[in-house]
Amino acid sequence: MKQAKPLTKEQYLKKFSRAVRWRLPPQESEDAISDYRELIFQEERDEAKLVEELGEPVQAAHLLTDVKTYRRWLKIFAVLAVGLFLLAKWAWMARSSVYLSFAEEWWYPVWVMAVGLPLSLYWFRRYGQKNGPLSKRLLVSLAVLLAAGVGILLWFERLTGIVLWEQLPDGAQQLSDQVHLWLTAEMYAGVICALTALAGLVLAKCYDRRWLALYILGVTVAAMLGFIIFHLKYMNLDYSGAEMLSELTARLIPIGALGLLGTGVALC
Amino acid sequence: MLKKDLLELCLLQLLAGGDKYGYEVLTPLRAAFPDTQESAIYALLRGLGKAGCTSWYMAPGGGGPDRKYYKLTPAGQARLEELRDQWRVMRDAIASFGVE
Repeated sequence: MKQAKPLTKEQYLKKFSRAVRWRLPPQESEDAISDYRELIFQEERDEAKLVEELGEPVQAAHLLTDVKTYRRWLKIFAVLAVGLFLLAKWAWMARSSVYLSFAEEWWYPVWVMAVGLPLSLYWFRRYGQKNGPLSKRLLVSLAVLLAAGVGILLWFERLTGIVLWEQLPDGAQQLSDQVHLWLTAEMYAGVICALTALAGLVLAKCYDRRWLALYILGVTVAAMLGFIIFHLKYMNLDYSGAEMLSELTARLIPIGALGLLGTGVALC
Repeated sequence: MLKKDLLELCLLQLLAGGDKYGYEVLTPLRAAFPDTQESAIYALLRGLGKAGCTSWYMAPGGGGPDRKYYKLTPAGQARLEELRDQWRVMRDAIASFGVE
């Protein structure tokens, strides 16, 4: 028989808390953690026999899990996580490995958003729970993400506004450097937004469903960046920068507005 | 009757003897069923709470922080009677085979 690895009381509670928060709704998990804290920190409790008496922390959390709901959550999480992986990949590589004949490639990131937003909002508003007052960390994270997203979009607008493809200015090299810099920033920003969205998703499950706002805003910014990068790849050089900007803006505004609306709904 | 039902019977019987905090419930049951881990007994206790068979309240512990005390509800009392009946039937059935 496999020997149970000894854990200190603190280590046990930490592992148990992590496992139970992932499996149970926030309020239920907090109740279970509070009960286990009481059980573990009993004076009579022998730390050396903790795992032997209580069982492995993950197994203990598993016993409290509503398996049906948990499996449903895992499926939802898998779909949303794959979407985030694609957004990060597209931002990093500016190409898709899958080509669909019936749609332009630049719509792919928007599809991820179109699936992710309603699916996550439906699941979390139905099964998720609020937990305490609105986190200040969440608000700060949202503000930083929003500022970064708006900043990189405005930077793109400024760049596009000064590029007239048919008559590059004397400072073409400088402009080219700026474009290259923007593309590099876009690559990193897309990946960081996808990772931030993933963190928002996990925190929404483990602590408070309002963290879903971070997921939605992250997906929105990543989808907008993916949309732009795919557009640039297939841009028509007959267009002036102003024309391209106008076309892109007309499409980006509703995408951004939808994302902000979703963020607001997630916070309610 | 499954082992789970026997555990449930013993747990409810324990609470019928008076309100108890978690450790007071888990320790004697683990002593009686040594191959059952406390996490399984706790899961059962939690399930009984969800089913409305037990309720809880916070009360001062012995000099330490407040403890969560579990008590039997009328639904729990009814469930206890039901399990007792099942146990008696099973005990008589087994005894009819000469098992002491």
